[in-house]
Amino acid sequence: MTAVQLRARHVTRRFGTFTAVHDVSMAVQPGEVVGLLGANGAGKTTLIRMLLGLLPVTSGSVELLDGPPDRQRRRRLGYVPQGLGLYGDLTVRENLSFSAQAYGVAEPMLPPALAARAGALVRELPLGAQRQVAFLAALAHSPEVLVLDEPTSGVDVLASASLWDTIRAQADHGAGVLVTTHYMQEAQQCDRLLLMSNGQLVAEGSEADIIGSTTAVAVHASDWAQAFAALDAAGAAVMLAGRAIRVANACPAELQQVLNAAGIQASLEAVPATIEERMLVLARAMDTS
Amino acid sequence: MIVKEFRELIRDRRTLGLLIMMPLLLLVIFGYAANFYVSSLKTAVVGPQASQVAATLPPFFNVTTMQSSGNRADAATLLQDNKVDVALVTGQAPVLALVNGSNLFAAQSAVAALDKAGNRVKTQVLYNPGLKTSWVMVPAIIGLILTFIGTIITSIGMVREREAGTLEQLAVMPIKPSRVILGKIAPYFLIASVDMIIVTVLGIVLFGVPFRGNPLPFALGAAIFLFVTLGLGVFISTISQTAGQAIQTAFFFLLPQILLSGMIFPLEAMAAGVRWIGYLLPLTYFTMISQGIMLRGAPISSLWLPFVVLMAMAVVVFTGATLRFRRDLAPGGPPGTARKEPAAAEAVGTA
Amino acid sequence: MMFAVRSATVRFGQTLALDNVTVEVPGGSVIAVVGGDGAGKSTLLRALAGEVRLDSGTIEAPSKQRLGYLPASAGSWAALTVTQNIDFVAGIYGLAGDELTARRAELLSRASLTSAAGRLAAQLSGGMRRKLGFVMAVVHRPALLILDEPSTGIDPVSRIDLWRLVSEAAASGAAILMSTTYLDEAERAARLVVLDSGKILVQGSYDQVRAGFTGVVAQTSEPVRSEWAWRRGRVQHEYWPGGDPPAGATVVVPDLEDIVTALALAQRNAVLS
Repeated sequence: MTAVQLRARHVTRRFGTFTAVHDVSMAVQPGEVVGLLGANGAGKTTLIRMLLGLLPVTSGSVELLDGPPDRQRRRRLGYVPQGLGLYGDLTVRENLSFSAQAYGVAEPMLPPALAARAGALVRELPLGAQRQVAFLAALAHSPEVLVLDEPTSGVDVLASASLWDTIRAQADHGAGVLVTTHYMQEAQQCDRLLLMSNGQLVAEGSEADIIGSTTAVAVHASDWAQAFAALDAAGAAVMLAGRAIRVANACPAELQQVLNAAGIQASLEAVPATIEERMLVLARAMDTS
Repeated sequence: MIVKEFRELIRDRRTLGLLIMMPLLLLVIFGYAANFYVSSLKTAVVGPQASQVAATLPPFFNVTTMQSSGNRADAATLLQDNKVDVALVTGQAPVLALVNGSNLFAAQSAVAALDKAGNRVKTQVLYNPGLKTSWVMVPAIIGLILTFIGTIITSIGMVREREAGTLEQLAVMPIKPSRVILGKIAPYFLIASVDMIIVTVLGIVLFGVPFRGNPLPFALGAAIFLFVTLGLGVFISTISQTAGQAIQTAFFFLLPQILLSGMIFPLEAMAAGVRWIGYLLPLTYFTMISQGIMLRGAPISSLWLPFVVLMAMAVVVFTGATLRFRRDLAPGGPPGTARKEPAAAEAVGTA
Repeated sequence: MMFAVRSATVRFGQTLALDNVTVEVPGGSVIAVVGGDGAGKSTLLRALAGEVRLDSGTIEAPSKQRLGYLPASAGSWAALTVTQNIDFVAGIYGLAGDELTARRAELLSRASLTSAAGRLAAQLSGGMRRKLGFVMAVVHRPALLILDEPSTGIDPVSRIDLWRLVSEAAASGAAILMSTTYLDEAERAARLVVLDSGKILVQGSYDQVRAGFTGVVAQTSEPVRSEWAWRRGRVQHEYWPGGDPPAGATVVVPDLEDIVTALALAQRNAVLS
């Protein structure tokens, strides 16, 4: 068992004049689930492709299972890209048989729900079932490292929950898992988080580390839509969680002024900030720069 | 890996069809069509001694027209209208044999056969005195290029929308299917027209191919022909899900046209069983127009058949393509089926 | 202004995609459709847009001129720039000249896309591309706006931007039908429709749905009946339809995700038993 499954040391990647990833260092240990967060274009996919050896680094180094990410080491890796990597016009069974043979292992067993559809063409399955098949294919050879790109995007609650059961089980068995996600709920399922913005690693650690010094104020108003509109117009960093209005890095007194001026009844309360608020603050900083 | 490729191939019926059908098709065509040997020549005999001369001709010369009152001019007209391969003008010694140089293989056979008559016959090859292959091929190649651009490139262009998923959006917008098609075709029409002018000019300059006739009917014929090939491209796009499929299908339509349109193997030399396929192909008719106008300076009146056929083909192909395309763009049925505007329409503005 | 899908049934071959579904979409409000894969969300939206033929039932929808649609796929032409995309669509709807220029500038600014106006659609990030698709769907001020999973796979910040655009459109009177996998968005809608296997499980405002929900959801680390439990974060939630959890169970106030999941499980377990 290696000490570290995936590692990047001061990795930078440039495409012409554009720097996609700048001086990023990170590591994934066995048995832990690491969440890679960041807006689109933050550099998550580029970093992953370098970690997997699919893209050369401009400077710095990457390690997969204590060595360069060559084909031998990739045999011990399971990867599910966003596009799933399945053959649409082959059946479930055929897809699994192909990947099992490619890795030289036995075909995985299908859970009952999928077993009933083993003969169906993959492209005719709903997205959740397709992701399940992709997972099975990636896990059949008992990989020591698992890299998943947005594993539950677009999938409903039940299917997503079952996928995460699988991910947890793999980590409990000793695999190191790297997951990219936009879903804050998924971020909460991870042991450790990495936040990227504009190619750089901006924060890492627990949820609290990611949130950092961001503050939030919850606004309780009877007419939430009006309150949202008023605060938004005033340029506040407003977010919505359901119908609850939250404002990041704001001074409650100023918010109260805005609401009063608009004639809106509301009470304000300082609350712990969430990751989404941190991301909103980062995005606004980027927009203005 | 091998097993996987086989499995995917079996599901891909179109590629499978192409792989199996194409060799069979080529075999049949080469077997029955590939024939440079012309078995008989359509012959006209004019002049005062027409019947006597006709009687002495070997059966190779199939006398279809006899005019005792005719003269050289009449004979030349018959050739220009492509009604015969050889016209013999009697009434002087030696007999004058005019050979239609735009039907290359027929002309070569005619010259060879007439040589045997020695001094009794003076042979003159019209339209293509050097019996050059390039002179006959270039007009046909102009058509081939138009076919290529028209069919392959248009089919990809339409399929691109389907693949990108943007076809759905066009479907819900208030734009008529016929306008979508026209908008998609227009750029290719323009490109193909420019290409055609370039090839024609190059053909004339590089190979010395003459352009004896009126450019206007030539341009008209090319335009109609383009419509046919572009319409075919649209049709192919309505039956293809991906660009790969579209190219394969276009190729399937293209190959017979190369082999059976009379460009390489003369139509008359083909076995009847295969020749009828040639008469279904648009390129066959355009070649008649291009060869007729460029080499023989033929008037439009003698070319009425290919013009009419091409126009009919254009109408049929376009109607079929538009109907299929409309199905793609409006699957919810024509307006009115189970769909009604709500009553009390107020003017509603949205942000 | 009321648009609707009434008693709609749609079959694709053997599958029943929609089963006698009725949804009304009044002007000025956002109706959210939620449900898992294969629940029928896309089919419902496409039926209202006229993309899918009904096997039975009726549609009340405006003419194409007054309809705006954002499909689940890209929604814009990759090889055109942001401006060219908007101009193309606007032209089809009959917008031109100064009116078009003004409208385009207004929409780009509201969607925070002004700086990207000259960029190719293919070069935009997922969130920006979706916002562009939205702009293209509202450029002609449609009376009915249909959005198919506008925020799926988009980063949280762009999602808020999209929500802002949607609520502004509703505030101006458009009727909006949208599908989403984000239940917190559905909470904000005037009404939400929960679909499962082509049937409506429940329909109403968030408050109505919560009030009408029976049974109890308990938080546990060891669920008693696995077919009634699902993972939430690090714990499990278990649904007791009869309102009879075991003594000592930690009962939680169910949020929309709990309710939707519980209803879906109830439906599936009823079918199996």
